[in-house]
Amino acid sequence: MKGLIIRIFHQMGNDRRTLALMIAAPILILSLLYLLLGEGTYIPAISVSQDFPPALLAELRKQDVDVSVLPHDIDADIDIGMGADGVDTDTAGADTDTADTADTADANDANDALSEVDTCADTLLKEKTTDAVVTVDTDGMHIRMLESGSSKAASITSAIKNAAAAVNPSAAMNLSFVYGQVDSTSFNSLGYVLLGVLSFFFVFIISGISFVRERETGTLERLMATPIRRISVVGGYTVGFGILAAIQSVLMILFSRYVLGMKFEGPVWLAMLIMVLLAFTAVSLGAFVSIFANNEFQVMQFIPLVIVPQMFFSGLITIDTLPYGLGNISYLMPIYYGCSGLEKIMIKGFGLEGIWKELCMLLAFILVLFALNVLALKKYRKL
Amino acid sequence: MNIEINHVNKTFNKKEVLQDVSLTAREGEILCLLGPSGAGKTTLIRLVTGGLRPDSGEITIGGRAFPDRETMKQIGFMPQNDAVYSDLSGLDNLLFFGRLFGLSGKDLQQKAEDSIRWVDLEKDKKKLVSRYSGGMKKRLSLAVTLLHNPSILLLDEPTVGIDPILRKSVWDRFEELRLEGKTIIVSTHVMDEAARCQRAALLYEGCLIENDTTENLLRKTNSGSLEELFFMAQKAGGTL
Repeated sequence: MKGLIIRIFHQMGNDRRTLALMIAAPILILSLLYLLLGEGTYIPAISVSQDFPPALLAELRKQDVDVSVLPHDIDADIDIGMGADGVDTDTAGADTDTADTADTADANDANDALSEVDTCADTLLKEKTTDAVVTVDTDGMHIRMLESGSSKAASITSAIKNAAAAVNPSAAMNLSFVYGQVDSTSFNSLGYVLLGVLSFFFVFIISGISFVRERETGTLERLMATPIRRISVVGGYTVGFGILAAIQSVLMILFSRYVLGMKFEGPVWLAMLIMVLLAFTAVSLGAFVSIFANNEFQVMQFIPLVIVPQMFFSGLITIDTLPYGLGNISYLMPIYYGCSGLEKIMIKGFGLEGIWKELCMLLAFILVLFALNVLALKKYRKL
Repeated sequence: MNIEINHVNKTFNKKEVLQDVSLTAREGEILCLLGPSGAGKTTLIRLVTGGLRPDSGEITIGGRAFPDRETMKQIGFMPQNDAVYSDLSGLDNLLFFGRLFGLSGKDLQQKAEDSIRWVDLEKDKKKLVSRYSGGMKKRLSLAVTLLHNPSILLLDEPTVGIDPILRKSVWDRFEELRLEGKTIIVSTHVMDEAARCQRAALLYEGCLIENDTTENLLRKTNSGSLEELFFMAQKAGGTL
C-alpha cells in the first residue's frame, strides 16, 4: 500500500499539469467567481416619467441608483403604454410632434395603447441607455426592465422599495434572517456550494481517469499478478489520491477564507474536515465509476450523469420545496451531505455537534465505495 | 518448481477459450506456447498468473494448489503490452514493482540497479518512460519481470514489435535464465522462436493439439518447420 502511495506522488510530481489542475484551477475559478458574484460597483440607471411624484423622486435620488427624468417628448410616448394591456388603435404615439395631445389623451384611455411600450421604453432598455423605466398612474407604479431574475432587477426593485418606504414609513419592509445577512453577496451565500462542487468535480475526474488508464495500459493486470492484496490496491489508491485531494481542499478553504474573505460563521477546521471527507468520497466514486468505463472518454461521459445532478442538490435549489418527493434523492448524493455540512458551518455557524450526521454519512459513502471497489477488482484476481 | 496444468477449461461469453488443456512446464526448461492469434495462449498464461480462474480443472505450482499468494512471490509476469507507467522514470517503475514484492531499502535499490543494468538501460534510468522508444519499454518491462529474481517466468509474446538484434539478445537472456534453473513459459506466434525452446505446446482454437519436446515435434513434420503442424491441424478440423 505504501508503495502505491509513493508511486502516486511520484507520478503527480512528474505530471506538473495535472498537479496544476488540481491546485491552481480551483483557486482560479474561486477568484473568478469572487469577482463575478461579489460586491459589484455597478450603479443601475433608472428613468422616470415627468409626472413622477416629486417626493418619491427625491427619495429615489438618495438611493444607490442613477435617476434621470425622461425628456418630454419620449416621456409622452412611454406614458401611453406603461401598464396597458389593450391593443393600440391610434397612431398618436408614433408622432413626437403631437406629444402634448398624446400626453393628455393617455391619462383617460391608457388601456387602448400597448405598442408604444415596445417602440419607446423597450427601445431605451434594449439600447441599454437605461436599466428601468418607471411611471406612476392610478393603478400604482409600473416598472419595466429588460430581463427577469437579473442582479440589476434585484437592486432596482430594492432601491425603489426603499424610496417608497422613506415616503410612507408604514410600507417599509424590514427583512432579517435567522442565518445570513440581507446584504450578503451571492459569493458569500453560495460559497459553500462552490467549494463543495468544485473540489468534488476535479478530484472525481483525476481519480477516475487515472484508474481507467491503469486498466487500459495493462498495469493493473501486472499489479494483480504480484502478491499485493486487493484491499491494499484500493487502499493505496484512496489514500494516495485522497492526500492530494485533501491538500487541494485545505488550500481552497484557506484561500477563500483568508484571501477572498469568504464568511465562515463556524470553525474553519471543521469546514476543512468536511471538505477532506468529501474529497475522499470523490476519489472513491471516481475509481468506482471507472469500473464501468473502458477509456478516458467514457469517464468524461459520466460527468453529466454523476456530477451534474448532484450539483442541483448541492444547495443551488431549495430542496424542501421540490415536488414528488424528489428531494429524497439527495440522500443518495455525497455532494448534498458535503454542501449541507459546509452550509451549516459557514452560514449557520454550527459546531461539531450540529454536523455529525453529515460527517457520518460521508464516512459511510467512503466505506461502501471502498468495499465495492475491492469487490470490483475480483475481475482481475479472485484471490 | 514445476507448473502442472490439469484438465483446465475456460469459457468467456459462452465461447470455450480453453478446452481440457493439460500441460507441464519443467524447471530448467523453456516451454513455448505456439498458436495463431486467439488460440488461447494469453488466457492460459493469465490462468498461471492468477488473474483468471479455470472453470474446471486445476493448476499446481511446485506441488501447491494455485493461486496462492506465497507462490505468487515466485512469479515474474511479462504482459503482452508493455504495462509500465509512462509518467514515472524507468528506475521508479522498478522501485514501485519491487515494493509490491516486499523488497525495501538497500536490497530494493541494489536489485533495481542490477536489473536495469541487465537490460542496458542504465544511462536512461532517470528518464520518464514516456520518452522511451518501443524497444526500451520492452526491455524495461523485462527488467520489471525479473527484478525480484522469480523462479517462474511467464512471458506473453515478449518479442512482438522488437527488432531482430534486440530479439536475439532477449532470447540469449532467456537461455541464461533457463540455465539458472528457472521454469519459463513463453508464448509466441513466431515459429522459429520455438527452436530455442526445449518443449513446445501447440494451441489451436482452445485445444492443445501437440505437446512434446521440440525435437520430437520437428521429427513429425516433413519440412522441418513447426508451421506445418498447424496446416495439418486445420485440414483435420482442429484435432491431430
